[in-house]
Amino acid sequence: MDTIFAFIEESALSEWIRGSDSLLAFPTIITLHALGLGFLAGGGTAIDLRLLGFAPAIPLKALARFLPVVWLAFAVNAVSGTLLLIAYPTKAFTNPLFYVKLGLIALALFLVHRIGTILRIGEVEGRPLAGGAKPLAVLSLITWVSLILAGRFLAYTHRWELLGVPAIL
Amino acid sequence: MEIAPWEAFIRSTALHAFVRDHEPWLWPLMQALHYVGASLLIGTVGLFDLRALGLARGIALSAFHRLIPFGIAGYALNLALGIVFFFGHPDQYFYNNAFRLKMSLMAVAGINVALFYASSAFAKAKAVAPGADAPRRVKVIAGISLAMWVAILICGRLITFFRPPFFH
Repeated sequence: MDTIFAFIEESALSEWIRGSDSLLAFPTIITLHALGLGFLAGGGTAIDLRLLGFAPAIPLKALARFLPVVWLAFAVNAVSGTLLLIAYPTKAFTNPLFYVKLGLIALALFLVHRIGTILRIGEVEGRPLAGGAKPLAVLSLITWVSLILAGRFLAYTHRWELLGVPAIL
Repeated sequence: MEIAPWEAFIRSTALHAFVRDHEPWLWPLMQALHYVGASLLIGTVGLFDLRALGLARGIALSAFHRLIPFGIAGYALNLALGIVFFFGHPDQYFYNNAFRLKMSLMAVAGINVALFYASSAFAKAKAVAPGADAPRRVKVIAGISLAMWVAILICGRLITFFRPPFFH
């Protein structure tokens, strides 16, 4: 495994992202990751709040028109996240918290897909929401907050290890 | 750079001492919560702006406006956290061009939102029915709002790359 990490770390792309003084390198990539997060977790949260009964006058089918924004943000974060991984592979792959974040991303993908289906089915007057909509929305809200926590602490747990303090996991 | 009187005062406060005493876990936790607040703001105010600009026209603007209190809660959370960040490391923020630009853009966003609620734009927005196009005035305010919050998020993320060459 170490040789794979070393191979990635010694690539020109990895060295450029990590070492370049240009604002287009690391700063732009991490900024895109933050911007994607805003629309991804934010858009997802707004949809969750509607499913939980806030703003009930928003038609679910119309709300589904925001899903492409959420998926676009997901794509931006998949690309920018991969570039950050290429810049610092060892830092991420040797940190248990990174695998927690990967699991949360998989869960979030599943939830956005399921909740998207519920939105497109829409609401039939007088009938309750499609099965499990509210529990899914609650799980989704918890997932967004957990993803943000995992992402932010990823940058710090590695540093603590460097200081001789064990990582939090 | 010498420590100015205002900075010396901030460094004498209990809040400054608290942040510095618990920094290893408190700082990343506050940053994560700052992103939660930003997400609430972008997800409600940002999507409201997108609807006003013509996306998801099937939603009446007044219906989506019911989510705005969550955006205000996110803003309040971030304002409180921002003050704590500043008290923790006043020099790293005050002598920072990304932070200064962010504060300027927040002033523009503030004036913009005041204009929206104080003028006839709010009443016009509330009258935008499902399927209807928002009036030009509402669209202009929504466009400025969306551009400002995106730019504010970008400036916030860039603060760390514009830190001053000294560390008090």
